[in-house]
Amino acid sequence: MFSSIVSFSFAESYYNTYVHKPIKVAEKVKVLYVDDEPGNLFGFKASLRLDYHIFTAENIPQALACLNDNPEISVIFCDQRMPGKTGVDFFEEIRVSYPLPVRIMLTAYTDVESIIDAINKGNIFRFVKKPWIEADIIGAIEEANKFYQANSMLSVKNIELQKAYDELNKFAYSVSHDIRGPLSGILGAINLANEIDDVAEMKEMLFLMKKSVKKMDAYVLSMHDYYSLQRGELKITEIDFEKVIDELKSIYSVLAKVNKVTFDISICQDGIFRSDYAPLRLIFNNLLSNAFKYQDRNSKNKSVEMTVEVAKSVATIYVKDTGIGILGSHVGEIFNLFYRSNSLEVGSGFGLYNVKSALIKLNGQIEVQSVLHQGTTFKVTIPSI
Amino acid sequence: MNIEFSFIIIDDSELDCFVTQKFLERSAKYLAIKTFQNAEYALEIIRENTAGNSPVPTIILLDLQMPFMNGFDFLEEFEKLPVEVKKNYRIAVLTVLTSANNPADIHKILAYHAVNGIIEKPLTKEKLLSLLTRE
Repeated sequence: MFSSIVSFSFAESYYNTYVHKPIKVAEKVKVLYVDDEPGNLFGFKASLRLDYHIFTAENIPQALACLNDNPEISVIFCDQRMPGKTGVDFFEEIRVSYPLPVRIMLTAYTDVESIIDAINKGNIFRFVKKPWIEADIIGAIEEANKFYQANSMLSVKNIELQKAYDELNKFAYSVSHDIRGPLSGILGAINLANEIDDVAEMKEMLFLMKKSVKKMDAYVLSMHDYYSLQRGELKITEIDFEKVIDELKSIYSVLAKVNKVTFDISICQDGIFRSDYAPLRLIFNNLLSNAFKYQDRNSKNKSVEMTVEVAKSVATIYVKDTGIGILGSHVGEIFNLFYRSNSLEVGSGFGLYNVKSALIKLNGQIEVQSVLHQGTTFKVTIPSI
Repeated sequence: MNIEFSFIIIDDSELDCFVTQKFLERSAKYLAIKTFQNAEYALEIIRENTAGNSPVPTIILLDLQMPFMNGFDFLEEFEKLPVEVKKNYRIAVLTVLTSANNPADIHKILAYHAVNGIIEKPLTKEKLLSLLTRE
């Protein structure tokens, strides 16, 4: 007996992928100043602290600790002459370990050699000469911050682009199987039709052809779901689960009757729940259709049970089936695009991936518990928005 | 005409299994045709069927892109079978060829001793006959 429980939380990736952090106007730009003379640090902070969030460090270890604790620091000023390491050495080091903050040299030490080093080794953005005037510093911070924001946005876009390319690759592969596959099957059937004289045989083939066409149609529909989930904005309304389920109930009750599956639903909604209707419906639809699809055809006691409970602004949904179950080693992969854990013809590899995308949008979570040949239970929790 | 072959069809698509089977019934003198929509199950049957030499060789018509165990996995597993089992079978890969196919994969398939050829879907009577006369 193999029972597998896997739970997924998408909350972290939610922020990375789906919400572009707006450049917050209200928040002050975070600036770190490294100098071995406390007087300099004090003066710098005193004159700039109203406009900027200033961090100071008297030596390089302090500066590194500060960078580690405050990943949002966007501009670093550093003195060149310090005991131990020089400013150039420090910049050269953090160029690799903290590449994003913009580096500015602030020093009285202006021989050509050290300027060349600062530019070539430290890869600095500006060189500000001591004693400084406020306008120079403010100008440098503003320009540096613009550069920082553009760079950060670029790296976010790059990650998104990489993800889009990866999915495109999968698409190219999947289209060959899920669209060209059925098409070539239908073409083969048309070739065969020339050889068939028996009407019963022909009808059998037409029935199978229809199944292939329907499968392709379902594939195209879920591809549409996929796109609307990836690109669409949230449309928040008040959700009455009774109504949402009612629509689905009529569809799945027929399926339950035809396949002799007991189908139970219980809904208990306490309070207002706000969410986006479309992804919510998609989650219900996919989980229910899977629960019916992956029943054991030979089993006598087939059932699908769904409970929806809304309390304290959180909806908890269980969809429990007595189906074929998921192999323990596959449970971790079922939410991947185009993953099909079963050799049955019915899956497109879109369903649970779309569920995952919908949950990311709604900030929800999903847990799977499955025993092979006994059944699978999905537990979904979604907070009210 | 003497019976020449037995056949095993491995394809996850029900329609493709049907079409291949019907074409075979019309093109060859055969002992038996078995169809499998699950490669792993087919492999199990082949592995357990050690009852001795079949009077005629069995041709396996194998699809490549299948969920769970795909054609490549099947070939890899088939290669591990004992020689006395393997020698009863010839494999013909029957698949959709696309630009998404990696040429290296195709070469790898042809390098398997048991693989006799690749037929591109959709199937026609001519393609099937050319395979059978090649045997």
